[in-house]
Amino acid sequence: MIAYAANLATIVAIFAILAATLNFIVGYAGIFSVAHAVFFGLGAYAGAQVALLLIPDPLLACLAGAVVAGGLSLCLALPALRVRGEYFVAASMGLQMMAVTLFSEAKPLTGGIGGLVNIPRPTLFGVEVSVLPLALVALALILLATALLQRGAFGRTLQALRDAESAAEALGKNVAAAKTLAMAFACAGAGIGGALFALHLSFVNVESFTMDQSVLVMAMVIIGGTGTLWGPLVGAIILLSLPSGLAFIPFIPPTEVGAVQQIVYGLAMTLLMIFRPAGLVGDLSKGRATA
Amino acid sequence: MSGPQIARRALLGTALAAPFAHPSLAQATDPYVIGTLFPMSGPNAEYGTLFTNGAALAIEHARADNMLRRPMRIQAEDTQALPQQGVIGMTKLVNVDKAHYVLVGFTAVSKAVAPVADRAKTIAVNGGAVGPDLSGLSPYFWNVIPLAHLETQAFIPFLMGRNLKRIALVYVDDPLGDAILGLLRTELPKAGGELVGSFSVPRTAQQFGPVAARVRQSRPDAVYIASFGAQQAQIIKGMRDNGIRVPLVGYSALSIPTVTAMPEAEGVIFTSQKFDYTGGSEVTRRFATDFKAKYGSDPGTYNANYYNAVRLFALLAKELEAEGAEVNGENLRRTLLRVREFDLVGGKATFDDKGDMSAEIQVNEIRGGRVVPIA
Amino acid sequence: MLFLQLLLQGLQTGALYALTAAGFALIFGATRIFHFAHGATFAIAGYVFLYFWNAGQPWPGALAAIAAAVVFGLGMERFVYRPIQRHEGSFFTVFVAAFGVAVVVQNLIGMIAGRGFASVDTPLSMANEVLPDVFLAPIFWIAIAVAIVLFVALSAFLTRTHAGVGLRALAQNPDLLRAYGLSSNRLSMLAFALGSAMAAPAAILTAMTTGLNEAVGHHVMLISMAATIVGGVGSLRGAALAGLMLGVAESVALQFVDTQWAEGVSFLVLFAFIIFRPSGIFGVAQTR
Repeated sequence: MIAYAANLATIVAIFAILAATLNFIVGYAGIFSVAHAVFFGLGAYAGAQVALLLIPDPLLACLAGAVVAGGLSLCLALPALRVRGEYFVAASMGLQMMAVTLFSEAKPLTGGIGGLVNIPRPTLFGVEVSVLPLALVALALILLATALLQRGAFGRTLQALRDAESAAEALGKNVAAAKTLAMAFACAGAGIGGALFALHLSFVNVESFTMDQSVLVMAMVIIGGTGTLWGPLVGAIILLSLPSGLAFIPFIPPTEVGAVQQIVYGLAMTLLMIFRPAGLVGDLSKGRATA
Repeated sequence: MSGPQIARRALLGTALAAPFAHPSLAQATDPYVIGTLFPMSGPNAEYGTLFTNGAALAIEHARADNMLRRPMRIQAEDTQALPQQGVIGMTKLVNVDKAHYVLVGFTAVSKAVAPVADRAKTIAVNGGAVGPDLSGLSPYFWNVIPLAHLETQAFIPFLMGRNLKRIALVYVDDPLGDAILGLLRTELPKAGGELVGSFSVPRTAQQFGPVAARVRQSRPDAVYIASFGAQQAQIIKGMRDNGIRVPLVGYSALSIPTVTAMPEAEGVIFTSQKFDYTGGSEVTRRFATDFKAKYGSDPGTYNANYYNAVRLFALLAKELEAEGAEVNGENLRRTLLRVREFDLVGGKATFDDKGDMSAEIQVNEIRGGRVVPIA
Repeated sequence: MLFLQLLLQGLQTGALYALTAAGFALIFGATRIFHFAHGATFAIAGYVFLYFWNAGQPWPGALAAIAAAVVFGLGMERFVYRPIQRHEGSFFTVFVAAFGVAVVVQNLIGMIAGRGFASVDTPLSMANEVLPDVFLAPIFWIAIAVAIVLFVALSAFLTRTHAGVGLRALAQNPDLLRAYGLSSNRLSMLAFALGSAMAAPAAILTAMTTGLNEAVGHHVMLISMAATIVGGVGSLRGAALAGLMLGVAESVALQFVDTQWAEGVSFLVLFAFIIFRPSGIFGVAQTR
C-alpha cells in the first residue's frame, strides 16, 4: 500500500509541476497553451539521455530538461507574440501534433515509438534516491517561484498583459520580452517535470507526450482554478486520483472498467465547468481571466 | 480499501474454495490474484476484451478441474495501452492487491511495467505484443507468444512458394515494424524475393487512399501490413477500396474479429502461432469448444494466448502447491526453468532462459469471415 | 499519373473536411463558441447511420443521423454552453466542458456499439480504373456533389433569408439584433442546429470510405478547427476552402515526402498560417 501510495504521489507531484507551470502562463499571462506535453516530453528525453549517456544524477537531468524545454519554448513564444485567444490555442495544437510526429521519427534522440528503455535509477552522491522527494522539492520550489514572480514587478506586467494587452503596451511594458520570459519559465518547469518522470518510470516513449496529455494538464488547471496558487495542485490530485479511486470499486464488470472511468472523468470536467466555472479553488466573486 | 470490502472479498474466496478446500491449509482460502493490465478504454479497448475473455476461460477450466487448492480471481486495471497508466496499475497490483501473476499486453505498457515487475519480483506475462524488443526485459517478464520476427521468418518461404516475390510493406514505425522491415529487407532477396517499397504510417493515421496510390506505384505482388488494432481494418479497406487487388498479408495481430469480419478482408493471409482446434491436442480442442459455447464465436490467437498465460500459471502453481512452496515470482520462475515444456493450447510450448516461448507457426487465410489454417 | 491520383483522392477527403469544417465555422462564427464537441456530433451521426444501415434502412438512417446530430448540437447549446456563458465563462471554460462531453460520448459509443473499427459495406466506395492507373470510386462524385449542393443551399440561406442574415449579424453585434427584435438565443440555437446537421453527411460518407471508430471525432475536430483558422474566423467560404485545401495537401504531399509525414502536413500549414497570415485566407485583419 505504501509503495502504491508513493508511486501515485510521485505521479501527482510531477503532474502538479506541469499544472502549476501551465497555470503560470494561463492564469497570469493569459496564454492558453495546449502544447504543454511537448515540453514535458522534451524534458523527459533530455533527462533520460543524460541518465543513459552520462550519469543518472537527477539534478543534472533536471537541469538538462529545463534548458532544452526552456530553450525550445521559443517555438511557442513565436505564435504567442503574433496571435492570442483561440488562434493561439490552434497554433499550440498544431505544434503539439507536429511534435508527436517528430518524437516518433527522431529515433536517435527519442527512440521513436519504441522509446528509451532501462533508464537507470537516479543516484545522488552515489546513493540511490527515490523520485518522490525530488519531485516534491521541485514542486515546492516552482510554487514558491510562482508566488514570488506573481507578486513582483514581472507578475504585475504579466497580469496587465492578460487583462489588457494594448494598455500594457501603451504604458511602456515590454510585452514581447515578458511573454517570452513567462513562456520560458513555464516550459523549463515542464522540462524538469519531464526529467523526473523519465527517472521515475525508467521508460519513456512518445505516448506520454500526446495531445491528450496536454489537455489533461489543461483540465487540471481549469478544474482547480486558473490564476490561483493551489488550484493546479488540487486539479492534479483530483484528476489523477479519480481513475485510481474508481479502480477500487468492485462491482463494475472488468471489460467496462475503463469506459466507466473515462465517463466519470469526462462528466466531472463538464459539470465542474457548468457549476463552478472559476474552478474549485477559484473565487467567483473576484475578477477572473477571460480569453 | 474499506474494511467491509476486504471482508466481502474474503467471504467470496471462501465460498468458491469451500468445495475443494484442503483441510490442512485453512488459511489458504484467499484466491490467487491474477492482475490484468489491458486497455479497457480508448482506441485499443477491443484487445482488452479479447485478452480478458481468454484469461477468464482458463480460470473456469482450472476451477472445474480442481487444479489448484485456492481459487483464482482477476483484478483488472485499465491501461488504455499507455505506459504511464500501466505503471500506476502495476504498482497497485503489486502492492495493494498483492497480485501473484500479472498479464500485460502492448509493447509500450510491457516495457514500462517490466522494471516494476523486476523490482517486485512479480511475474508479468505478455501474450499480446510481439515486438522483438520485448525479449529479455527482466527475468520476471515472460512472453507466451512467439515474437513477430519468428513469424515473418517462417512466412517468407510460403510467400515465395505462392510466387509472391515483390512485397510492399505498409508499417507503423515502432520496434515491431522496424524488425519486420529489417527482416524483409535482408531475408527476401536471399529467398529470391524483393522488398519493392516500404511505407511508414503514423499510428493515428486514418486515410489510406493516398498511401494506396503510392503502394500501387511500386507494383507489388503482395502487400505486407504491419500495424495493429482497428488501424489494420482501415488499412485493408483503404487498400481494397483504392485499386489494390493483390493479396494482403500480415502477422498475428490481424487475428481480431474487427478484421476477420469485414468483407474486404476476404483472402487476407497471415501467420500466427499454430492452433489446430479440430485435430489438435485435448487442451486445444477443449479450449475451442468451450470458448465457442461461452462467447458464441471462434477463438482468436489472443484469446488462446491469454488462456495459455493463465494456464501456465495454474500449471506452475500446482507444482509449487505439491512441493509445499510459496507461490511467488521467484518460485514460479524457478519452476518454469525447471519444467520448460508445457501442454498449452496449440500443443507443446517450450520456454527459453529468457522466458520467451517458441511454438510452431502456421499460415492462415481469412475465408468467409473465418480464419482458416492453410499451411 | 500519381499526382492526378493523389489530387483526386485529396479532393474526396477535402470535400468531407470542408463539410465538417463549415459546420464548425458556422457555429464558431455566429456564437463565438469553440464547439470542441463537434467531433462527437460527427461520431454520433456516423454510428446512428451505421445502426440503421445494418438494419437495412439506409435512407431513414441518413435522416436519423441528421436528426441525432441536430439534437446533440442543440443539447450542447442548451445544457452546456448556455449555463456556462451565463457566468461569463471564458473561452477556455467552454473548451474544457466540451472536451469532457467528447470524452463521455466516445466511451458511451464504445460501450454501446463496441470498440474498434466499423464501416458501412457498400460497392460505392470501391474504386475502378477510370484512366490508366487512376482509380476513382463512385463515392468521389457523391462527396463532391453533396458538398457543392450543401454549400450552395447554405449560402443561399445565409444571404437570402431573414434568419440567415440575422445569423451573420449575430457574430458582429448581438445588441443590435436585440434592437431589431431578433432573439440571439434562438439564432444561436439555429447556428447549432445547422452546423451540427452539416456534420452528418460527412459522417455518413466517412462511414463508407475510411470507416469509423469510437475515437473518430478527435481527428475530425482537429481538422475542423485548423480549417476554421486557416480559412479565417467568421468566413464560411474560407473554412470550406481551407478544409478542401487541407485534404488535398495531406494527399498530394505524398508525391514529395514519405508517407509518415502526411498527417503533419495539415498542422504545418496551420502553424505557418498562424505565424505568417493569422487572419487566414478570407479573414478580416485580426487584432493581436
